[in-house]
Amino acid sequence: MAYQLYRNTTLGNSLQESLDELIQGSLNTYRFCDNVWTFVLNDVEFREVTELIKVDKVKIVACDGKNTGSNTAE
Amino acid sequence: MANSANTNPVPKLYRSVMEDVLNDVREVFLDDGVDEQVLMELKTLWENKLMQSKAVDGFHSEEQYLIQVQQQQQQQQQQQQHHHHHHHQQAQPQQTVQQQSQTQQVLIPASQQAAPPQVIVPESKLLQHMNPSSMSAAATAATLALPAGVTPVQQIITNSGQILQVVRTASGAQYILQPQQSVVLQQQVIPQMQPGGVQAPVIQQVLAPIPGGIPPPTGVIIQPQQILFTGNKTQVIPTTVAAPTAAQAQITATGQQQPQQQPTQPQAPLVLQVDGAGDTSSEEDEDEEEDYDDEEEDDKEKDGGEDGQVEEEPLNSEDDVSDEEGQELFDTENVVVCQYDKIHRSKNKWKFHLKDGIMNLNGRDYVFSKAIGDAEW
Repeated sequence: MAYQLYRNTTLGNSLQESLDELIQGSLNTYRFCDNVWTFVLNDVEFREVTELIKVDKVKIVACDGKNTGSNTAE
Repeated sequence: MANSANTNPVPKLYRSVMEDVLNDVREVFLDDGVDEQVLMELKTLWENKLMQSKAVDGFHSEEQYLIQVQQQQQQQQQQQQHHHHHHHQQAQPQQTVQQQSQTQQVLIPASQQAAPPQVIVPESKLLQHMNPSSMSAAATAATLALPAGVTPVQQIITNSGQILQVVRTASGAQYILQPQQSVVLQQQVIPQMQPGGVQAPVIQQVLAPIPGGIPPPTGVIIQPQQILFTGNKTQVIPTTVAAPTAAQAQITATGQQQPQQQPTQPQAPLVLQVDGAGDTSSEEDEDEEEDYDDEEEDDKEKDGGEDGQVEEEPLNSEDDVSDEEGQELFDTENVVVCQYDKIHRSKNKWKFHLKDGIMNLNGRDYVFSKAIGDAEW
């Protein structure tokens, strides 16, 4: 199926291109509740292989990735 | 224009996710007696919303994409045959784009009606030979959308001789990265999209060198919600303000005077300029927006403090790291949703090990499979 092939390409690309993304900035707030981390960072610089993105404020919501199937919606 | 979508993983990833979802729900739909037609409608609506959000480069409807790829190949072949080697590097992409715009008008109108705000990106890209990544697919679409607007854009860029980088942001805003030289913002209204007869307010800013040498902020976002046509001059009335205060005032002043020349203001960009009157409504909106943002941030600060702090007036909150209007993000709070592998802290040094994330930064979507970060608290 074309779709299956497509998926492999996407995964491959996303792995290669986004493998080592560096985030630098200053932490404004942090919160850990119900196994969900919420950070607010200021003056952050997201460095990707291809480009550099700077933002003044970013909120990062992270769920536990150690056990699969723990995806966050918002 | 050969490798258009190979460099940006986001549209591909999204497309694959969409296909997965649609395939999975197809069974459920059928079990519930819902017609396949509904599934197709869902897919179309979903794609259109993605296109409209402009958070992803590349509109990515598969049919359009395939059609475009074919047409691009055809056009390139025709170009090589038709034009010998006249301006081999620069003219070809330009002409390719123009011819594409002509031929593909017929095919695109339906889809363009669904996503009226289109962006012209390719001209600057093609002329500069810069950044083929992640823009070409969108670039082609944008070119098709605005064939009439192609020419003036090219001329301006050529005349100024500047290297520009145009990036789209969400909600129809255009965001131009300057080179480090001082430049002036110019407005240029691109006439409506002709193929589908759908009128799309699009504003493109072109940067040209300032005689006064004032460095404007690094990025400007304008969200054109309304456009008034006054002859050759155009006046923008943004319902939501995105640009830095000074820059926007400059923009409105420019729009009123002449779109090609702008007298520079001696004041620093940080000061809100009242010149260029006639845009009272936009300035009022801008002030309201500023107050609203400051108040929001103050509320957050108070909740976080909980120490019975004295209630600060919104405008006097110097302790806040309040984001100014001119800081590239307007109403988009940049969000990253992801999973964490490890979060580590030493004294006040935090280290983040994240994975599988989707980011919305400055209105655009990015993805990563792994991210590492450092921050000080």
